[in-house]
Amino acid sequence: MLDTGEIVSGILRGDPRSISRAVSIMETMPGSAERRKILEAIYPNTGNGQIIGITGPPGIGKSTMIGKLSLSIAQKGHKIGVVAVDASSPFSNGSILGNRLRMQDSLTSRNIFMRSLSTRGQRGGLSSTVWDTVTIMEASGMDKIIVETVGSGQADLDILGLADTIVLVLAPGLGDEIQAIKAGIMEIASIIVVNKIDREGAYMAMKDIQDMLAINSADGWVIPVIGTNALTGDGLEDLMGCMEKHWIYLHEHVNIRESRFKNTVAMDAKIQLDQIVQRSFQRALQGMETIPGKNGSPYDESNSIVKKTIESILKGG
Amino acid sequence: MVAGKSQSLFKDRPIKVLLAKPGIDGHDRGMFVLAKSFRDAGMDVLYAGLLPTPEEVVDTAVNEDVDVIALSLMNGAHLTVFKKVADLMKKRGITDIAIVGGGTIPDQDRPKLARMGITGNYGPGTPISTIVEHVKRRAEEARKRKLGLN
Repeated sequence: MLDTGEIVSGILRGDPRSISRAVSIMETMPGSAERRKILEAIYPNTGNGQIIGITGPPGIGKSTMIGKLSLSIAQKGHKIGVVAVDASSPFSNGSILGNRLRMQDSLTSRNIFMRSLSTRGQRGGLSSTVWDTVTIMEASGMDKIIVETVGSGQADLDILGLADTIVLVLAPGLGDEIQAIKAGIMEIASIIVVNKIDREGAYMAMKDIQDMLAINSADGWVIPVIGTNALTGDGLEDLMGCMEKHWIYLHEHVNIRESRFKNTVAMDAKIQLDQIVQRSFQRALQGMETIPGKNGSPYDESNSIVKKTIESILKGG
Repeated sequence: MVAGKSQSLFKDRPIKVLLAKPGIDGHDRGMFVLAKSFRDAGMDVLYAGLLPTPEEVVDTAVNEDVDVIALSLMNGAHLTVFKKVADLMKKRGITDIAIVGGGTIPDQDRPKLARMGITGNYGPGTPISTIVEHVKRRAEEARKRKLGLN
């Protein structure tokens, strides 16, 4: 089933198989003509959903929270898509996509579409695959799309940069971990959640975070700090309220259409460039002089590789 | 371990396999062992959790676009429950996802399962490499169908 026309009409109908197959094409063939055809055809139907990025350290309860959250949002009459990004093994390239396990109940009972992606060594393409997946979900009529990532590493920040609303999930007792991630992620969070609120020190953690936010209070949107218990569902109403408020805030203050357009252009140009550069670079690498000193220092040789790569790109890859 | 003979088939998207125990069966230690082995063989592994219905298994397989569904049961219900999964797949016209089985499956049931398109059906004591190889072989068939190669 690689008939793009059929896939496109399936996506627009909301058929899970077509959506799923389209995502596979984005994963398997980044930069292919098929990918382009599909995205081009569904583009007019996109741009209306709220993309919610949910991030935070591993084991903090993100997946459990999304399981509960997606159910409650669905009950309010929204169509939901979930994209979960899981780390893959650097050794075997394999992965265990465990997020789904914690959401299983809500997924099946409510017909929520969820897709797991792994962070394997794609040549810088992960964010683009996620973005394509989100685009497909939007085109299929989903209006709340949740992207879950483990909040570490630049790739995650890239993906999160694409989200409209970013929820950072923390828990009491993280201590230094909060310190470690605050620089990168706290700055882009729209909402901060302290999960496992029943644990000791939870309110102190919330207060700490609030104090920290007070120092660099941005004008406009005031980042709310919410306590939740993902297992029991406590505080999730609050969280949903804040997400909705943020969505309204964005509509009033940001040109969403424009920023989507900009992001898509940048994303797509990046993936095309990545492919061209990689192809030429790998070829240039193969012609490397490996005998030490024959062509001067290693830095001379690396310069000549750069030169060869650029030449080969200019010649058309 | 290498990811199958035709590397390019799985270059950008490794074999994706869904492990599931549909039906009333809580013995999932073996599933965890398999999950880890499949991961170490370079596959993306999903586990459907305990007690999923056949419908849930098929829904998950479709949404995730897996190559292989690996079913396991230790309770003797394989002829009913595995069949239900296979029937659902047939009903929805899905031919590009392979089904393999395993668990405590008597020898005389294997041909019956094979006729439903459920292969492998390995029992206790099977070397893990045998299972991994079999899953790879079935995944290759499935992936070729997905890509319209046969």
